[in-house]
Order: sequence, then C-alpha cells, then structure tokens
Amino acid sequence: MSVFDIFLQQLVNGLVLGSFYALVALGYTMIYGVVKLLNFAHGDVYMVGGFVGFLVLSVVAPMVGPGWTGVAVSMVVAMIAVGFLGVVIQRVAYQPMLNAPRLSILITALAVSLVLQNGVLTLTHGQYQPMGADLGFGGVNLGLLFISYNQMILVGTAAALMIALELFVSRTQYGRAMRAISIDKDMCRLMGINVTAVIAVTFFIGSALAAAAGTMAGAYYGSVWYFMGFLIGIKAFTAAVIGGIGSIPGAMLGGLILGLLESFGTQIPGIGSEWKDVFSFAVLILVLVLKPTGLLGKSEQERM
Amino acid sequence: MAQPRSNAFNNIIAQFDEPWKRYAAFAVIVALLLIAPISLGPYATVILTNALLYVVLALGLNVVVGYAGLLDLGYAAFFAVGAYTVGILTHTFGLDFWLTLPFAVGAAMIAGVIIGTPTLRLRSDYLAIVTLGFGEIVRFSARNMEITGGASGISGIQQPWLFGWHINTPFEFYYVFVVLAIIAVIVSVRLQHSRLGRAWLYVRHDEDAAEAMGIDTVRVKLAAYVIGAIFGSISGAFFAVNLGAISPESFSFQQSVLILMAVILGGMGKIPGVILGAFIVVLAPELLRDLGEYRLLLFAVGLLLIMLFRPSGIWPVRGK
Amino acid sequence: MKLTTLLATTAIAMALAGPAYAEMKIGILAPTTGSEATYGQDMANAVNLAISEINAAGGVLGEQLSSVIGDDGCDPQQAVNAASKLASSDVVGVVGGYCSGATVPTLKIFGDASIPFVITGANSTKLIPANPGNAFMINSTGNDQVAKAIEYFNSVGAKSLAIVNQGDAYSQDLADLTKKDWEAAGNTVPAFEVANKGEQDYSAIVTAIRSANPDAVFWTAYYADGGLLIRQLRQAGYQGTIAVGDGSNSPELFGIAGSAAEGVIGFSNPIAEFLPGAKDFIADYTAANGSPPGPYAPLAYDGMHLLATAIEAAGSTDPAAINAALMDADYPGIAGQITFTPENTLARSNFVVLKGNGGKWGLAQ
Repeated sequence: MSVFDIFLQQLVNGLVLGSFYALVALGYTMIYGVVKLLNFAHGDVYMVGGFVGFLVLSVVAPMVGPGWTGVAVSMVVAMIAVGFLGVVIQRVAYQPMLNAPRLSILITALAVSLVLQNGVLTLTHGQYQPMGADLGFGGVNLGLLFISYNQMILVGTAAALMIALELFVSRTQYGRAMRAISIDKDMCRLMGINVTAVIAVTFFIGSALAAAAGTMAGAYYGSVWYFMGFLIGIKAFTAAVIGGIGSIPGAMLGGLILGLLESFGTQIPGIGSEWKDVFSFAVLILVLVLKPTGLLGKSEQERM
Repeated sequence: MAQPRSNAFNNIIAQFDEPWKRYAAFAVIVALLLIAPISLGPYATVILTNALLYVVLALGLNVVVGYAGLLDLGYAAFFAVGAYTVGILTHTFGLDFWLTLPFAVGAAMIAGVIIGTPTLRLRSDYLAIVTLGFGEIVRFSARNMEITGGASGISGIQQPWLFGWHINTPFEFYYVFVVLAIIAVIVSVRLQHSRLGRAWLYVRHDEDAAEAMGIDTVRVKLAAYVIGAIFGSISGAFFAVNLGAISPESFSFQQSVLILMAVILGGMGKIPGVILGAFIVVLAPELLRDLGEYRLLLFAVGLLLIMLFRPSGIWPVRGK
Repeated sequence: MKLTTLLATTAIAMALAGPAYAEMKIGILAPTTGSEATYGQDMANAVNLAISEINAAGGVLGEQLSSVIGDDGCDPQQAVNAASKLASSDVVGVVGGYCSGATVPTLKIFGDASIPFVITGANSTKLIPANPGNAFMINSTGNDQVAKAIEYFNSVGAKSLAIVNQGDAYSQDLADLTKKDWEAAGNTVPAFEVANKGEQDYSAIVTAIRSANPDAVFWTAYYADGGLLIRQLRQAGYQGTIAVGDGSNSPELFGIAGSAAEGVIGFSNPIAEFLPGAKDFIADYTAANGSPPGPYAPLAYDGMHLLATAIEAAGSTDPAAINAALMDADYPGIAGQITFTPENTLARSNFVVLKGNGGKWGLAQ
C-alpha cells in the first residue's frame, strides 16, 4: 500500500468509528443540554441497545433473513424500546435528584450504569453473544483501498439519523423547546413550556440514538457483551467535550474528530496503537486549554 | 441542599455534633480498630486493611471534591504516582522505602501542579473529562513504558524495616494503615478549620465573591489538588509495599470512580461520612461475596437506593 | 454505631465461613465471576470432580476432601482478598490460578502462609521469579509457547510477523518474548500493536497490519477481542496466516469470529477431546455439569489429583513435606506426565498446534 492508500484507508476507518462515537455523543450532549447531567449510564444504554437488537434479530431473522433488512427492523425496535428505557431511567433515578448536589446525580448515574452492566452480566453470565447477522463481505475496491458496503451503509445510516435529529431540533416545537430549556429552564417553565415532557423526549431520542449505534455495532462487529458500552461511553463523552458539550453539531464534529485521531494515531510512527489513546487525550486537553468550551460550545457563566 | 428524609438516622448522627461525643466515638472506633485483628483473624484483617487504604484515599479526594468543590475523575493517577515512585526507587534503584517517601510526595506535588495548572480555569464538567484523561494518560504510560515494568508492572517490592522491625505480615501492615488513617483524619480536620479550609469554603460556594474578597482562587484550588495528590501518593506508596507487586490494572478509571463513590456516598465534605463511605465500598462487595455473580448487581442496586433516599450522602454536612 | 455494626457483621460472616468440619480442605483460586468466569467455573468444576473421585476412593490420608473457592475475578486486588480468604480457611493446599496478572500477588500470600499452590492455568514467565518456592506450575510457560509458535511460523516459511497483544500482563509478556526470539532468529516484526480490551473496532490496526504486509499475524491475547480482530482482518482482505495463543483456545472464538476463523492456527495446552486418556474425564465431567469441559479443565483436574497424590506421599499435611513430594512428583495426568524443573515449572512443553476447522478446533498436525 502506498502512503496515499494508507491515508485514505485510515480516513475511512476513522469515519466509521467516528460515526459510532458521534451517535453516542449526541445523547450525552442532548441530555447535558436540558438537565446539565453527565449521564454516565449512556454507554450502557448503548450496550442494552445492542442486546435488544440481538434479541429482536434472533426473532425476525427466520422471517426476513439475517441481512441488513433484519438488522434495520431490529434497530428500529431497539430504538423504540431503549428510548422508553431512557425515559424510565430519567423518571426513576434522575427526576428525584433534581435538587440534590450535582455530584450526587453524577454518582447516581454511575450507579445506574453499574445496575445495567451487572444486570446484563447476570443474565448472560458474562458471555459474548454472537449477533447472528450475516451482512456479507462485499465492497468497492479502489486500487488497494477497500470500502465495504457495510461501512457505507453504517456511515449513511448515522448521517441520516443525525440529519433527522438536526431537522427535529431546528424545525419542531419540541426541538425549539429543547434549545430554550438548555438556555434557561426556569424561564421556560414560567412561559408555559412543559419542561417535564421535553426532558422525557430528550432522554427518549438520546437513548434511541445510542440503541441504533449499539445494534449496528453488534451486527457490524458480530457480537454483543455486557461490557461493550464502557469504553465507547468514555470515548463519546470525550467526543462531546471536544465538540463543546451541549452543542449538537459539536457532538457530531467531536465524534468524527476523535475517530480520525484514533485511526491516524495508530498509523503514525512513534504513536502507534500503544499510545493512540494518550494522543487523543492529549489533543482533548490541548483543545480545552486553547478553547475552554470545546470547539463549538458557547461560553456561559457557570452557576453552581 | 435537599432535606434528608429518614429522621431516626439523622437523629442518631446528629448526636455526634456535640464535640465530647465525637471524641468519645473516635476513641471507641480507634480502640475497636486496634483489637479487631485479634478477634477477627487474617482474612478480615486483610479486608479491613483495604478499607483503611480507601479511608486515606477517600479523605484525600475529599479535599479536592468535598472541600474545594472540584470534580476529579482521575484520582487514581496520584495513587499510581506514589506506588510507582516507590516501586521503581526501591526495586530498580535499591533505595530504602522510607527514603523514597519524600520522592513520592514530591512526584505527587509535581503531578498535582501539572494536572491542576491547565485545568483549573475550566468549568467543573470539563474538569471531569480532563482529570479522567490525565488518569488514563498515567495508566497507559505505566503500561507502555519499560521502567514501570509494562503491563506486568513491578513485583518483588521489598517490605520496609522500621527501627529494626520488619513490617511484613498482614497484621503488621494493618496497624501501619490504622496509623495512616488516623493521621489522615487529623490532617483533614486541621485543614478544614484552617485559613485554607475557609478559603475553600468560599470558593466552593461562590467563586466570584471569593475572588472579590481577595482570595487567589487559582492558587487555593491548586493547593487542594496538591494536598489531595499527596494523600493519594502516600496511600500508593504503602499500597505498593503491602502488596509487593503493582500493575497498571490497579489504577484504572474504575478505581477512581470507586474512590469518588466512597466520598459522595458517605457525604462529601464530612469526615465521618467519607470514612463510612470508604468502609461501605470495600466491605459491601466482600460481605456479598457468597452471592457469586449477583454480588455486583446487588451492590449497584444498593448504591442506587442509597443515593435516591439520601441524595446528599449517608452522613452529609448539615444544611445551613 | 454504624462501624461496630459493620465490624460485627464481618465477624459473623467470618464465623460462618470458618472451619466447621474436620475434613481436609482444598482451596480453589479461579475467576468464577467477571469476564473470565467461563474459564474459572470450568476449573472449579474440574477440581471438584477430582475431589469427588478422590473421596469415593477413600479420601487422602483417610480423610475426606472438601473445597473452598477463592474468586480472584481476574483482578490483582481482588485476588489478594481471595488468597487471604483461602489462607484463613485452613486449606492444606490450593489449586488453580488462571489470569497471570491476578496470580502474581497471591504467590507471596501463599508463600507466607506456607500453603502449597499448584498453578494449573497461569503461565506468564513473570510468575517464575515471584515464586517463593511453594508454587508449582503444571501448564507450560510462555517460553515453551514461544518456541512452539516460532517452530510453526518457520514451518510455513514465514519471514515477517505482525504481533498484536492486548496490553495486559499475560499477552504483553508473550508478545515481547515472541518478538525477541523471532528477531534473534533473523526475521522481522514489521508491526507490533496493542488492541485495547473491549474496543470493538480494530480497523485502524488492521490497516496498519495490511500496510506492513506480514506473512503471518500472531494474536497473543484472549479469545473475545481476538475473535473481533480475526473477523476484521479477513473482512479487510488479509490473506496470510493468522495464529492465536493459548488465551484464545476457547471454542467461543468461533462464535465471535464466524467463518473468518476457518484455518486459524492456535497454540494451546492440551484440550480434553484430543487427549487419548481423557475419555472418562470428558464423560464424567459432562455428566456432572451438563456441558463438556473447557480448555483449562484437564489441567485443573490433573492439578487436584497431583496435590492429593503428593499429600498421600508426604504422609502428613505438613507443608514442607508436601512441597518436597511435589518437587519429586512424577505423576501421569490425563494431560500428560508431570515432573518439575528446579524452577518448579513443568519439565516438558505441552503445547499442541490446533487449526480452526468447521467452526471448532481440530489438531493441525
């Protein structure tokens, strides 16, 4: 492979990885926007999404086949089911904590994360579950560069979901309310906006996006397990902060940047796969030192 | 601050607001700790040693989180700095353990300044990710470098001698950690009532007002970081000689989270609360051990319930 | 007072866990919960099967055996707790040890307590210098695996080798040893990578490997991430040999990697179905546990029988006598003859070469 081929191949790798990061980072950032909560359980919501997708696929695969049709059906069902799970988590665990110290809510989120992780661990005995999707190996060869159809479908689906989200946030009542709440929740309440409902919708959408990513990851990488949400949760959090937490375009940008940093970091001599995470975190710290609100974040006065 | 709901328990802990009762309780606890190994046997001694280690760690993180109000998700980094400084200097360079302690403290101070300086101007949620990032950078560096022994870490770290006494058995280490924990409690109390302690209180409640009153907020916050780092580093130093072997796995993000849990679960800023939190995070999973794979699930559910019913921690600072 | 309550609860728990029978107790150190629980349960089941056989034949020194499990969770700190628990339970010996990183800190505890420890799984070379003298490794060490691997790569004419580990004690040790010996033999390692556990997406590493174009790829870590890497290597069109170490000898590798694992080479300690003397063991194990034995069950089973034989030969439960008996052991296990080197490691290499065939392992040669 020539240097140029390697560059393009890592670019493709980074885009695919970045799409997953971006989908999960969106949930982080949306939830942060409306309730100012770092939802550490979000990676585990992604994991549960993968498992729901796995269960649905095992039911629908005999009917529609284990290809992309089956995965698409599983993904939609997982998005709806996990969307409701997100709302339930918000109601049960976060709603009662609205007036508690912020660090307490953070620990509550960590507790929710542990409950989801260990719940699935107990149910599956820590075993990997092969997803059973059969997506084929086809793709396009451009010289030595290879882009599989699966990668195209993944990135395309992620882009479509993000465009749909952007339209929802900018064009609908709920979307406008969401943005308004992220600026001043109390004022919104005074103006008659149903803040509780908007928060519920936000958790639903954020969780559904994570579930979409979880199901696609299960199908694409071939298996699901109880700990699959841990690392991506941290990475998505990093991505959301690089982009500017609270900013929806920021989460997309942050996800792609982090995906690309990791791919190219692996290839750069002197960094390599050994040091790539150190490289990513160093870039994160550098970004925050130079621009303390992240790339697309707005500066705001902090209120404790 | 949200009002804690269960009144019977609040009445019990309120008892200890009277100073003499507090000192009496402290004396009773110390006495119990001193006789515990004799009545409980070696396994319980090892577990209690571990709990005391977490007491020191949690009190150290409490300076950062509870006193100064700064969120730190990478506290295990300081724990690692102390452990590796001692591990490398004693094992690779053959220095005596006690001579390495000043180096461990120095390294922790430097690490505290390195982490603190660029980050202290950030908002608290950004601080969370940056500290997390630093924690991971330290762990990955320990894993990748040769001097730290790579992923296998350093084993065969010698147990220390103190005036001709070889601290070697689990029982001896237990008493070492009892002494460490007592020192940590005393230092925490003194800090809380010092000028610096009051400065932290102002900074925590209203940073702008503190600034207006002439407090150098960046220096005050940096002091919290550095003091917290020293607590972590000394814990790490004794952790290394106690276990005799250290590896990067002991300094993961989960470790930082566990220490943070101890601080917040018990009631951040409140010393008895933090101690209680440390005992819970160590003893609860151990007591649930016979439940096998349900153990961690029950621990997680218990944690969630505690946070829901006592949002400010089990033994919080009393609301004003 | 809350603290006293906690202490009292601990005391009660201790009392309940304390010795209540006059039987001889054997400790099992294994990760029975957590990500490696499948292996740990498997080892515990195999030891318990051996114990029930020994008891049915009249026990050891006329006493019946019973077992206590110490769950190390594949984590060094938890392993220290588990080992202390076993040491406090008056066990006459311990069998087990799967994750090398978790086993290292337990050596001192069993050493201080003078408890003979038969290590049946863990085989990192880092265990050897940390051994106070009472631990005996009946699985071949990483050095033997490296020798076997290099012999195999030479036999297929490979000159360049990409090595991928997972950044943990076991797989980094194996990767470093392989790199050293491989390069010393005049070959090249054009890619030396670390795939972090649980990352799922290894496409960047796959591209780095493809751009280096090695004759073979050697994955030195565990099956779960190994399965993902193999799948992604083959999907990206890598055609060369792919080999995996003994941490990936689980049949679950095939579930995760799917058809991509066909033809994959595995270096492994002896798996039950390829051992001529293990027919009865497989039948009994399956009858007792409802599923066939996993890759580390035969060694755990041998380890328990070896320990019982040594106690019988020592004529007492005196640790020094048992140690001496273990040192002189010449025991015909189902996984092969067990004798020890002066370093208390297995005197022969027990590695075999496996090949993925029809969704499961078969013998390569």
